[in-house]
Amino acid sequence: MMDELELLKKDWQKKDNHIPQLSYSDIHKMTWKKSSSIVKWILIISILEFTLPHLLYLIPSFQENMNIYETIGIKKYFHAVTLIQYLVVFYFIYQFYKRYKEISVLENAKILMQKIIKTRKTVKNYVIFSLSMILFTVLLLIIGIYLNDDFANSISELNNKATDMSPEKLKIALMIGIGAFGILLTLFMGAIYFLLYGRLLRKLNNNYRKLKELEI
Amino acid sequence: MEHQFVTDLQSNQNIVHKVCTLYTNDKDSHNDLFQEITIQLWKAYPKFRGEAKFSTWMYRVALNTAITLYRKSKRSIPTLDYDSVIFKIKADEYDETEEEQLKLMYKAIKQLGDIDKALVFLYLEDKDYREISETLGISEVNARVKMNRVKTKLRTILNP
Repeated sequence: MMDELELLKKDWQKKDNHIPQLSYSDIHKMTWKKSSSIVKWILIISILEFTLPHLLYLIPSFQENMNIYETIGIKKYFHAVTLIQYLVVFYFIYQFYKRYKEISVLENAKILMQKIIKTRKTVKNYVIFSLSMILFTVLLLIIGIYLNDDFANSISELNNKATDMSPEKLKIALMIGIGAFGILLTLFMGAIYFLLYGRLLRKLNNNYRKLKELEI
Repeated sequence: MEHQFVTDLQSNQNIVHKVCTLYTNDKDSHNDLFQEITIQLWKAYPKFRGEAKFSTWMYRVALNTAITLYRKSKRSIPTLDYDSVIFKIKADEYDETEEEQLKLMYKAIKQLGDIDKALVFLYLEDKDYREISETLGISEVNARVKMNRVKTKLRTILNP
């Protein structure tokens, strides 16, 4: 076997004179191209994840929907939750930026992988936090509806449409509806997120596992 | 600086070509990976202070890009068909058994995992275990143990 490997090494090193060479201008052009590394992708996806949910507030109908919090009397809680939420989001963005900056191609393979995984973990925690916030907001809504006796009257428009339903029934139907919607939305967003990153990082995770196995 | 970089890379481009041949299966992917490695090298170039040889520094960036950063642009099935000089064997230089052995070896290497490929690559490039361990971030002992395992794996493929 040693002889075979030596033969291979000899052959390998002989190739140098035969490899087709790229010209100066070919290489020069490449330095101006954009990278499509997974680190770049993590950055792009993360920026989308940080900004997209907040863009929702810019849609007029979404703003109108915010009135519901006032109607059912949980507006001040909602404001408090929003404030905490933004503080946490800024913390995540800061953490993410710090870790992202630490990623360097000059590290050894293992540390490079560790740093990428760590950066992604920040995003993962952020997504888990966001999804929990959706569920929490939904819960807040349900509690608000439950505690508010005038609820059916205050949204008279809805009440007119559902004339065959007693206010009590309408209330329960709404609570169940909102609850189911919240859970489905969370599951849907969670699934998209994990599929996206699962695909993006499959190779990295495999290689990292193999490197870790070497330590045993 | 840019001129210096392009000149340095141009004269050391074989390292990148060899990494690309090991980690890709067709010409498009080869060029794609070559480009990504070039971008990563260029991005990291300001931090290269000439303490190490330019080529030594290239090994690390090239392998890191191939193993970790590079996202395969499309799925490709491993074949040896693609016209790569590195895997071509000049029949007139070897006798029939040697030629056959080399062909099998190159085929076997292509089937290895990313980390194993890196080990074999550094071995073929005549790097010592210290450099292998520093590039991959494993201990020298583990690099040695792992290399022996890869050799055994190759042996099994060659002599089933």
